[in-house]
Formats: sequence, structure tokens, C-alpha cells
Amino acid sequence: MNPIVESLYREGNPDAEAVDKFIQQNQFPLVEPGHVTFVYRGQAQAVHLRSWISGLDTAQPLVPLEASDLWALTIELPDKSRFEYKFEVEENGVKQLVLDDLNGVLAHDPFGANSVCQGYGYERPGWTLHDPTARSGSLDTLKIASRSFRDTREIQIYLPAQFRRNRTYPLLIVHDGLDYLRYADLKNVLDNLIHRFEIPAMIVALTQSPDRLIEYTGDERQARFLCEELLPAIAAKFPLLDDSNARGLAGASLGGVAALHAASRYPKLFGQLLLQSGSFAFSDLGRHKKDPVFDPVVRFVNEYRNTPYPIAEKIFMSCGIYESMIYENRSLLPVLQDQGMQIFFEEARDAHNWENWRDRLRQGLSWLFPGPLWMVYE
Amino acid sequence: MSVQIMLGPQSPHSNLKNAIDSLSVNGPVVSITAGWRDSEAEIDELQAAIGSPIEDLNLYHLAEELFSREPKLHALHRERQDKLLELQRLYRIRLTPGMTAARKLLRDKAESDLLRLEQRAAISQVRSLDRHHLRRISAIHQEFDRRRAEVLIPSATSLVQSLQKKLAESGLVLIAGGHVSVLVNRIRLFRLVDMLAQKPIIAWSAGAMVLGERIVLFHDDAPQGKRDAEVLDAGLGIVRNVIPLPQAKSRLDWSSRNRMALFSRRFAPAKCCTLDNGSIIHLQDDRMTYASLCSVITRSGMKKPVVTR
Repeated sequence: MNPIVESLYREGNPDAEAVDKFIQQNQFPLVEPGHVTFVYRGQAQAVHLRSWISGLDTAQPLVPLEASDLWALTIELPDKSRFEYKFEVEENGVKQLVLDDLNGVLAHDPFGANSVCQGYGYERPGWTLHDPTARSGSLDTLKIASRSFRDTREIQIYLPAQFRRNRTYPLLIVHDGLDYLRYADLKNVLDNLIHRFEIPAMIVALTQSPDRLIEYTGDERQARFLCEELLPAIAAKFPLLDDSNARGLAGASLGGVAALHAASRYPKLFGQLLLQSGSFAFSDLGRHKKDPVFDPVVRFVNEYRNTPYPIAEKIFMSCGIYESMIYENRSLLPVLQDQGMQIFFEEARDAHNWENWRDRLRQGLSWLFPGPLWMVYE
Repeated sequence: MSVQIMLGPQSPHSNLKNAIDSLSVNGPVVSITAGWRDSEAEIDELQAAIGSPIEDLNLYHLAEELFSREPKLHALHRERQDKLLELQRLYRIRLTPGMTAARKLLRDKAESDLLRLEQRAAISQVRSLDRHHLRRISAIHQEFDRRRAEVLIPSATSLVQSLQKKLAESGLVLIAGGHVSVLVNRIRLFRLVDMLAQKPIIAWSAGAMVLGERIVLFHDDAPQGKRDAEVLDAGLGIVRNVIPLPQAKSRLDWSSRNRMALFSRRFAPAKCCTLDNGSIIHLQDDRMTYASLCSVITRSGMKKPVVTR
């Protein structure tokens, strides 16, 4: 048992006042080196920890603590790990997924919020937080009447602080760009890394799909839109460096698939790829067992694995070891390396979520687009 | 002898105006902002900070123009820069094992004369490599200077003379931070070193770095990990026995005393001085006459406030 929970019972069963004090005086979950203890307070028939960690049971039972309305579960957790969870509370035969009321740390995504468990030693990187000394970039809007999609797409364009039309800039196109802004603090990250000269001042196009389950799964229209419509439109409106090494595509999950797919359809047009937890589903033998949404992904990834070829100069891949996609990412890695491209693969003790992708951005962006920090002393 | 004032970064708070007010300035203020490269001309904020007009020498822009007009000079310059880049790569190949060995020996806890002698020898090897590197760099610069005389046309010579004249007539020179290599390069290209040495100077960040005898690059908090500090080039040699360390708070790993101790012992007897936002050092005849919010790295890797006489 966790020593703090143990101390609650040191002088016998606690009364309600002692339990209140225990709740007020501690931060939950209770974190210690190598372990974490989840605590739920309330009446219930059963409480489960629901997490989406590959390799662990998705539902682990919390045990009721004697003579109280507390429930607890201690699990092993390597230091500096991070994952998201909810409690599944069963009462009167009804199961409900709820946030951990005792834990104020939440992560948000397009589907809502989850509680976040930060393992011993995890700290949110300072460069993801707003830095009042860093000059702030701005957001502009670009509307494109797309021939590929037969509709109009609105793209947000991040312009770096002190943007000047008489200079030229590298370009990064980010899939699910608005989600990166909302859930991965991309604007803070860009402002800070540019301010610290870790990346050059750059333009970042933030695309968002109205139907990513189709358009980001290896859809030829998406590749055509990016390469034949969006890129020329940005180049016409903003001063870009005319060099493939100064052009990049980025995306997470299916966004990573879309980025890899577009780069494979237009090899070397984009010199830099940032692929985070890419959903690179494939099948070596027989049919894949994923949702049918993945059919086109599997077709594309199988096709590329069978006949690989160089598509960019550098590829930064990251993936959490607590997500099922780690298998697909590790499998794709040697295929890409064998094509003579420079690959940086970063694994993290994290899961399939925006904060994992946020925390890897510094390494990824500064490796793909190195800034002049070694030489610049402002 | 003239006064030199070194400052830390001018953001978020500028102490430039205070530094200027501490001098009696006789003549126009000129600035060198070549380290800002493309943004060289954007001196509005600088003028606003000091509340009076400045004439910028435009060295970055003038060099670009000169190179486009004089392809032979440009080719010669490019050739030198390529050589320097390659030399830096070769230096790094030798520096890394030397620094690794010195760090390992400094980490060793044994209390013995045997260890102390080996520590000293390891640091001495790195110092010797740094000196060798500077000699090799100097030879490349000398070759450039010799060959440049053959390709320089009269208009370029008159441009150099007009810049020297502006400097000669100035009452104060401001040298801003920025890209340290570009900055030292442009000052050398237009042969302004001798004239600068006679002028009161206020220089910050990279500007302060170029005033010294050696330009030392450092960054312990880079995204791809710590790098060993490197000697990039000789500085202008206007200030002696000081290694200015701009943004030292964030760029140096103060948690590692061995790392800091090695930094200090490697460049001794020069004082490794921190220059953070708000820092100021006054120098005259190579003596520090006033310092505020500055520290030196001690032999044991600690921070100690600069003491002036």
C-alpha cells in the first residue's frame, strides 16, 4: 500500500474528519518513484481505472478502503511517464466514465477531457508555456477554393513575430493544425522556440479537415490539395524560401498518415516530415483487424512497405510506448532508414494524446529546422 | 585609453540608456548592428531606447552590396568561410575526446596528487588545442588579407575609408548583439578594428563577445543536448582577459560544478563573466572599473560576483 494511504490507517480506522484532512492535504494521484496510487472518494458498487495504455488492462479495479468511502489502486509506473485516464464508476448497475475529481490536471482533445496521471519526475516543459519575454507571432487566414475537394478551405497561417515581407521563410504545413493550437499549445511552442533561436522564424500553415477519417487516410485528393493547391497559394501570398529543405509536413495519428502519404505522392517536394504517433497500420499476412476506416491506410502503408523509396531529406518520428501504434511505428522505422533518409525516432513514456505530441515538438522541430542558437547571442 | 562597457541582452529590460548616461559623449553616436543581418536597418527600437538619433554603419548591407559588385572578393570571402567551417569541424573532432577526458577526470572523487596532475594535464591539452585552433584560424585570415589586397578595387577602398572616417568622427560606438560570426566578420572586412579601439564603446551580448581576444561559443541547454564550448575565432582584442558569457543564466548548466569548473580553468587567466539582462561591466585599460549583476565562474565552478578595483 502507498505509505501516505497507510498513514491514514496508522491509528486505526479513520473517521470522516481524518479522511477529509487526508484528501485536503495530498495531491492525487499519489505519486512515488516507480508507482502511482489512484484514489476515488464516493459511494459506488465498483470503481475501475480506465486508461488506454497498450499492454495493460483497460479497466483495473480500485479496492474499497476499510471504514471509509475511499477506493484505491496502486500500479507500477516508470518515472517521467504520463498517461490519461478516467474512472468508471458503477452504481445501481449503471457504469459511468468520470474525471478524477481529486486531480486538477486535465488534458483536452476534440472528444472532451481526460484526467492526466503524471508519473514521478514528469514536468511540463517550460517551452510549452507562455513566455512573456518571447515575441508573439500572429495568425492570418487564407481561403482556398479547392478543386480537389470542390469546396472552400480556410487555413490559418502562423506568421512569426517581426514578420517581414522582404525576407523569406521556411514553411511547415500541419494537419489538424487548429487542434495542435488548442491542445498542444503550438503557438506558444513556436513563439518560444523562435525566440530562443532553436528554430528559425518560420511560417506555419494550420490545416483542418472536415472529415479526417476519410481525407487523412491516404486520400489522393488530400495529397493533391496540399501539393498543388495549398502550397502554391501560400507561396503566392507569403515570402517562402524556395528550397525543399525549407518545406515540411507534419501531423499526428491519422494526420501523420496524411503527411507521409502526401510526401510519398510528391517525393522531395517537402524535405522535412514530422510524424507523431502515425497510424501506420499495415498487414503482413491476412487481413488487418482494425476498424474499416483503416482499409485505405493499410493499402497505402502496405504499398509503401513493399516498394519503398526516398520521399524526404529528414523525417522526425515520435511515438508513445503506451500506445498500440508503437508497433507500427517501430516497424516502419527500418523501412524508411533503408531509403537513405535521415530519420530521428523518439519514443516517450506517454500515450496517444496531444500532450505527448506537444512535449515532442521541441526535439522534432529543432532537428528538422535547426535554428541559429549556437551563433546568436541577442 | 577609451572606455568599453559590456552589457547583457537588452530584452526584456534595456539598460543601454543608463550606460550611455554614465559617459560624457563628445560627438555623434554610431551603431553596428550587423549581427542582426537582414534586420540591420531596423534600429527604431534602439533609438527609442536611448532617446536620440543614431547613425548605423550598415555593415551587413554594405558587405552584401560589395560582394554582389565584386565577385572576386566574394569568392575569396566564401573560400575563407568554407575553410573556417571545415577547420571548426576538424577542431571539434579533437575537442570532443579532450573535453570528455577532462570532465571524466574532474568527476573522479579520488583525493590524490596523481589525479590532480592528470586533471591538470587534461585541461592543459584542451587549452593547447584551443591555442592551436586560434593559430590555424589566424593563418587563414592572414592569407585572406594578403589575397584581398590583390582583388580590392578603388571604390571598395574608398568605402572602407568613409566608414573609418564616420567612426573617427563619432563620440560613441554601440555594438549590438546577434549573429556573432557575421558581426566579427563584417567589422574585420571593413578594417574598423584599429579605429574602434580608440573609441568609447558600449557593446552587448554578441557585441561584447567580439570585443575580447577569443570568441567562445557555448550552450548547455540546446534541444539536441549539451555541446562543449568552442573557440570560434579570435575577437577584436580590444578587451583583454575577459570571456563575456551573454545569457549565462539560461545557456549554462550551473547545476554541474565540474562543467563550470572546466569552463573556468580552460580559459584562465581570462575571467569568464556572465552577462544577463541588466548586467553591466565598465572597462578601462583592461581593468574592470565597475560591474553590476555580473558574476565570474570560479576555478571550482561556482558563481562569484565580479569585484572591481
